[in-house]
Amino acid sequence: MRFGRFGDLLDHWARETPDGLALRYGEKQLSYAQLREAVHKRAEALRRSGKTCLGILSDGSMDCVVELFAANLAGMQIVMLDENVPEELLQRLIVYTDADMLWGDPELAEELSPALTGGVEGGSGRILFFTSGTTEQAKAVVLTDHSLCQSAWNGSAKLPLSRSDTLLCLLPLGHVFGFVCGLLWGLSCGACVALGRGARHYADDCDFYRPTAVSVVPMLLGFLLKTGAVNQELSLILVGAGDCPPALLAAAAARGIRVSFGYGLTETSSGVAISVSGDPFAMEICPDDTVTLAEDGEILILAPTCMMQGYYKMPEATEAVLKDGIFHSGDLGRFDAEGKLHVTGRKKEMLVLSDGTKIFLPEYEGRIMAALQHTELAVIARDGRPVLVFSGEAGQEELARQLKPLMAQLPRGQQLAGIHITSEPLPRTATGKIKRWELQQKVSTI
Amino acid sequence: MTRDEILQKTRQVILDCFPEMADMDLREDTVINTDTGIDSMGFVLIICKLEAMFDVRIPERQWKKLSTLGDVADAILKRLPNA
Repeated sequence: MRFGRFGDLLDHWARETPDGLALRYGEKQLSYAQLREAVHKRAEALRRSGKTCLGILSDGSMDCVVELFAANLAGMQIVMLDENVPEELLQRLIVYTDADMLWGDPELAEELSPALTGGVEGGSGRILFFTSGTTEQAKAVVLTDHSLCQSAWNGSAKLPLSRSDTLLCLLPLGHVFGFVCGLLWGLSCGACVALGRGARHYADDCDFYRPTAVSVVPMLLGFLLKTGAVNQELSLILVGAGDCPPALLAAAAARGIRVSFGYGLTETSSGVAISVSGDPFAMEICPDDTVTLAEDGEILILAPTCMMQGYYKMPEATEAVLKDGIFHSGDLGRFDAEGKLHVTGRKKEMLVLSDGTKIFLPEYEGRIMAALQHTELAVIARDGRPVLVFSGEAGQEELARQLKPLMAQLPRGQQLAGIHITSEPLPRTATGKIKRWELQQKVSTI
Repeated sequence: MTRDEILQKTRQVILDCFPEMADMDLREDTVINTDTGIDSMGFVLIICKLEAMFDVRIPERQWKKLSTLGDVADAILKRLPNA
């Protein structure tokens, strides 16, 4: 079903299937009628609070989902914050996004409360997501409940779920892929969404909830397969937000599970293209999107219903990527003979890791350079994880020791997975830019 | 239970999960990500096994602060009933 607003979605399913299960979280559950009632009740309280912008320190719980829908219904601007990033960065993000109220772990919310602002005017309907790599220069992408609902429909038009399905939501709701493909996809189809109980339950959530579908990032898919955590009823896995080794997809397919691969960005409210059959890397364009390729192969996206309004308070950054309504993705692609899209690489100096997060290399390498007081270095990806290539004389243990304080400030997935020391200079272009592809090939063969 | 005993059991759990690390010198200042190459999913596996072994619960929000084997041992020690 295509819905205009979150409120419409809740009204529709509460009317059509009031007793149908909407959400499960551990032993708790809410039918669609109960979910609607809980959201309306909380929205009333939020309206009375007079607050205008709610920062959600997302923990993926049922209460978190109710709060999010309620704040939207109450006309508040919502900011999706990742509770796992360092407190100092969270404080800066709260100030940047004008949050005047926080929801989440009480201890953390209390710690962050001095950063709260005076709020914002005209933020109704807006939901701000940070691009997958939350960094010092994090940009908040302004989406709306309307664009997110359209995105959920857009994806479900290619991969529909039925009301008897259970979609397992393991990914963080603060990432747009997790939000749309882990939550809204299921709710917009009237299915039951089982909310993952946190990282410590990754290995047993499938056994506990017995889902029929799940959305994962490549690293999580590897974990589920390695630990044998996949239940018999699971018939569909949607993989997104990063490059996925073909062997992983093959391992899932060998268990008789249909595997689809999705391509999308925070700026397009998630899905733009999804594979529905055959080669999982050959993706069909979703019905609301038009994809073309620039001369250099860059993927250009026209997505009138799902496109971001812009980067929050960053008009120049918005204009740099959104030109005449067309989003310049920074990804490279090609179309095959059947018109299906294949993503072939990145134009931006960015790594997309196997846990779905991104590293913006100039910033990341700059911080490493500052920590080591050494500029002849580069970061490449090996098995979807960042590895430092250090050119010069140094000991591996000493470098790791010097980098320890910096690594402690980063989310675990973005911490270096290894250090490679070479006495050779880094390969560079005539203008001094690092030849990343050449370096990648060189290190991969060692 | 002493800190050294916890460290020893932590090493054992890592080797149970990742037998390919048998030759690695796992010391208390070994940085789990950078020195061992264990990814975030591997880390989840290790922490869950340690929690079950010591019957403690380290809040997920604290996991990001566990950088070295020593950090992990300290987090467990702090939560042992008789600590």
